[in-house]
Amino acid sequence: MSGPRTRQTAVTGIGVVAPGGLHADTYWKNVKDGTSVLDRVTREGCEHLPLRVAGEVRGFDPSALIEETFLVQTDKFTHFALAAADAALTDAGLSKSAWEEAPYSVGVVTAAGSGGGEFGQRELQKLWGQGSRFVGPYQSIAWFYAASTGQISIRKGFKGPCSVVASDEAGGLDAVAHAARAVHRGTDVIVVGAAEAPLAPYSGVCQLGYAELSTVEDPARAYRPFTSAACGFVPAEGGAVLVVEDLERARRRDVAVRATVAGHASTFTGASRWDRSREGLAHAIRGALDEAGCAPEEIDVVFADAMGVPEADRAEALALADALGRHGTRVPVTAPKAGIGRSYCGAPLLDIVAAVQAMEHGLIPPTPGVFDICHDIDLVTGTARPAEPRTALVLSRGLMGSNAALILRRGPGSAAR
Amino acid sequence: MTTEVTQLTYDELAALMKKGAGVTVEPSDLESRADAPFADFGLDSLGLLGIVGELENRHGRALPTDAERCKSPRAFLDLVNGTLTTGA
Repeated sequence: MSGPRTRQTAVTGIGVVAPGGLHADTYWKNVKDGTSVLDRVTREGCEHLPLRVAGEVRGFDPSALIEETFLVQTDKFTHFALAAADAALTDAGLSKSAWEEAPYSVGVVTAAGSGGGEFGQRELQKLWGQGSRFVGPYQSIAWFYAASTGQISIRKGFKGPCSVVASDEAGGLDAVAHAARAVHRGTDVIVVGAAEAPLAPYSGVCQLGYAELSTVEDPARAYRPFTSAACGFVPAEGGAVLVVEDLERARRRDVAVRATVAGHASTFTGASRWDRSREGLAHAIRGALDEAGCAPEEIDVVFADAMGVPEADRAEALALADALGRHGTRVPVTAPKAGIGRSYCGAPLLDIVAAVQAMEHGLIPPTPGVFDICHDIDLVTGTARPAEPRTALVLSRGLMGSNAALILRRGPGSAAR
Repeated sequence: MTTEVTQLTYDELAALMKKGAGVTVEPSDLESRADAPFADFGLDSLGLLGIVGELENRHGRALPTDAERCKSPRAFLDLVNGTLTTGA
């Protein structure tokens, strides 16, 4: 997707449903303060699992936000996405009257790592407990990876291009790039995001096979990327949805441009081959820089993937040096997800949100719970660092081997916020 | 579970629509607009399919394949009740 862009993609709306933050503002408060919201897993049916710590979304009441007709046919991962999409549209100043006349001008892209595990478990228990005639028909759509894309578009009446990206955790970044391409090709607005709900018994068991999963019992010690005590990652639920649109269109309707999507690239280096992810990640960073027309020195902050596995952390630190040269050891790096957990495809979306907010507020948030860094990077720890970041690099890797890099630039409308 | 022959009423249909598809509708509204398409009440085809399955489980017998294709409450009730009574 190189070549001159006739249409630039602006981020004009943000919606968040995250552990410790049911709104973008509360999410940012935790992120900037470096508050960890990791806690013991409290979900029914998960108590006996060796997965002890996670980032749970608490206090989320879907029935207060979403119509019952949508609730009965959707999993929690879609509830999160529907709620975040509503918030993003509101933030972008878009209401039904804005697209009623032109429903084909709005599309939806989501990324998904696992679909609706909790809904699926319930129906499969009916299958084996009572028989196939007791499985509800909504099972056919609720646990599907594409459910959130479909339900957002149906609920809002969007008829523009819809898709779902299933490319591992890094797919969260790929989805945003896909949305930018759709805008580039002529769709005015894309609602893009990812939210996941992996904290349920069946979904929890599925994750136990991941060698990278942290099974540490103490929330303060369970997820410490870039330290010698790194012992794996902590999973989380939730995610974020963005409204992206043609920059000129955003200017015409006089809405604040919170950031622009400048460049992206992704690579694949194989499941849990963290040594190889060094090369894959570096290649993705170079590709994103190339597309953005951005010099390495222009990167003002890096939101790291921060897997929390020594070999993976080393590969990421080295990839930064490989792709950014000496700047790779000087640029501020942060990993808010150390205090939130990784909501799979939702995690890079939450990092995008934090990157936008960091550029808006002139603050680089710290990496919660991390102090003794054992890699040659400038990891921001302790408290937020005042700065004036104009360009942010967001990195993401998946357990199945995807690597992606996305570059965001501060929006011309940011100063007004 | 019962194999007794019973008549499906608008009350019961409204309750099934609520339970299976999250659709809130007054039984009296369902009855007074009995020829309106199910879609007008907010019930989609998967929702009706779920109601058919629930009735089949409840009565321990299959309904005709046409049941899930009924367009309106009246057509559905006529078909279901016709089947439940004649097939006894």
